[in-house]
Amino acid sequence: MVAAWAFATAALITLIPANMSPILVFSIAGNSQENLIFTGVEGLWNQGFQPLGALVFFSAILAPVIYLLSVSYVCAAWTFQKRPPLLAVAFRFLEALEPWNLLPVFAIACMVSVVKLRTLGTVNWDSGALWILSTAVFTMLAVQCFDRKCVEIYLEEDK
Amino acid sequence: MTDEVRFSISKALTAAAGILYIPANFLPVMTITITGQVEPLTVMGGVMELYNTGLIPVALVVFLASVLVPVVKIVSLSWMLSLHGTAIAQARRMKVHAFLTRIGTWAMIDVFLLSILVAVGQLGILASVQAKPGAVFFGAMIICTLYAADIYKTYMIWQPPISKPT
Repeated sequence: MVAAWAFATAALITLIPANMSPILVFSIAGNSQENLIFTGVEGLWNQGFQPLGALVFFSAILAPVIYLLSVSYVCAAWTFQKRPPLLAVAFRFLEALEPWNLLPVFAIACMVSVVKLRTLGTVNWDSGALWILSTAVFTMLAVQCFDRKCVEIYLEEDK
Repeated sequence: MTDEVRFSISKALTAAAGILYIPANFLPVMTITITGQVEPLTVMGGVMELYNTGLIPVALVVFLASVLVPVVKIVSLSWMLSLHGTAIAQARRMKVHAFLTRIGTWAMIDVFLLSILVAVGQLGILASVQAKPGAVFFGAMIICTLYAADIYKTYMIWQPPISKPT
């Protein structure tokens, strides 16, 4: 559980540059275009596909943040054996958002898109890709280390 | 929410996903315009294109994630739901359910791929990527399968057939 806390916090920290720095740069005939996670959301939104834009925003930006926040909150509470307010709520968030934590999938999608774009123009990785990869790895490690039963028992004792 | 309601919602979502699967795979998901040439792409078309350019492993990943996973999910969900309340293959159904929740999100690869391509494809006539209605069907189908598996809880597999109040 302490390890899960550490990994979740690490993932949270790497998530910030992952969202701020461009993932890849695509250039064709001298023009180039950078790409952040958010650019895709914006593009889909502007083309009139608001539901899809919202879906990508939710599953690639919002859900990982809330999920990792609640994992580290719950794990920190357990580590210090404290019962801070909203512990049960945070745990419920964690459970609900688990299937929606799609950053690892996003990392794979990045790879596929680079391969695909390579046939069309020049593609270069940028720093954001590394950050996303590290966030994805930390997230998966946190999920592995997280012990659900442990928290359930801990919450039971509360009553 | 009672278990009966959960069961009904799960059935409805599975059926909806089965219906949405057809437009999601036959309507183009996006059009790619490179130096003036317009090219509509379906999900399967994208896989074929990767395969033809010799990128077989990548084509395989996309094929698995966005064509096969939804089919496997829909078929095994309907199998699981049709056996609801019976004592047949309960242990196996547990395994299938766990497997479903594990592979469920991989179909999202295609939606993310689209968002990345749309993001880089903003170079006007040189290279532009335009999302198409098929993508909406695809996204809706994925959400349906995700929730259908999520709302049917594993303990419900072990329930006796009749739970009506007397």
